[in-house]
Amino acid sequence: MAYSDKVIDHYNNPRNVGSLDKAKPTVGTGVVGAPECGDVMKLQIQVEGDRIVDAKFKTFGCGSAIASSSLATEWIKGRTIDEALGIRNTQIVEELSLPPVKIHCSVLAEDAIKAAIADYKAKQAEPVSAPEASKS
Amino acid sequence: MTKCEACGAALETPVACAACGALREVPDGASPFELLGLEPAIVVDERTLRGQLTRFARLVHPDFFAAAEPVLRERAGRNSARLNHAFEVLADSARRADWLVTALGGPAEDTERAMPQAFLAEVLEWNEVLEEARAEPEPDPRVARLAVELAARRASSLERIARALEPLPEHGSPALATVRRELNAVRYLDRALGEIESLRLARSERR
Repeated sequence: MAYSDKVIDHYNNPRNVGSLDKAKPTVGTGVVGAPECGDVMKLQIQVEGDRIVDAKFKTFGCGSAIASSSLATEWIKGRTIDEALGIRNTQIVEELSLPPVKIHCSVLAEDAIKAAIADYKAKQAEPVSAPEASKS
Repeated sequence: MTKCEACGAALETPVACAACGALREVPDGASPFELLGLEPAIVVDERTLRGQLTRFARLVHPDFFAAAEPVLRERAGRNSARLNHAFEVLADSARRADWLVTALGGPAEDTERAMPQAFLAEVLEWNEVLEEARAEPEPDPRVARLAVELAARRASSLERIARALEPLPEHGSPALATVRRELNAVRYLDRALGEIESLRLARSERR
């Protein structure tokens, strides 16, 4: 199977690889996995106000999984949380021209964004020690 | 049990008749257990399995049909492939369990994809250790420890799976979802174990 040029570009020059300080209250961390292949992806966001000011990822998986997460961090940087939540895996599939067998890689990236945001929101809710209803 | 259309003998496998040698057209839905003449079960005796394969493979071996008419030649090739594939599924305990869960109407791998965060964090950690080890000039002792740990976890996962599938649960039983999650965990273990293997191979080649 041939990878598209965009996948190869992200694979060779992945954007935003690395880690943010997990302990910080402004950092949300999402770790998700794909049982289809055993790939695992960590995506972290740093939030100021309602805007994602930084994003980092670490993915152990195939080229498509790395490219999907690299692209995801590029897309969410500078966006608001709500905008980031609107990103769909199908957009990633389209941008990277992923073949059908690699669609789960894009699902993984979408899941990772959602998990990171959920973690951030949970952290924001914590100090008030109120249930989830108290969204910041 | 189905009978041979040619001689009326009871069939052990749908690929061919052991009594008269008739090569049969195998229905698409034939299960790996049917193909190898075994009752569906999670525990499969390796010697019995191998014995069935050799016995049945002889009946359909393409070499014996090299001079036969094209229809039979093709059928021999197809049936041999079906037998070999069935053997591959049944010889591997994880694949066997996967087949049984699906056949019993259990969830597919992607519908039970949510894994506990703690587990995924561990998977990430193994991979980070392996990534660091790959960058080091000397073998990292952590890799050997990890290999032992992961292999032991894989074995106990497969034991739990075997216990849950023995005897086979009812069709659609909720126990199948638990087995599916455990099988998904095995997938992550296998990926990490595969990475360890390729790391070791790369090292031994460098020497």
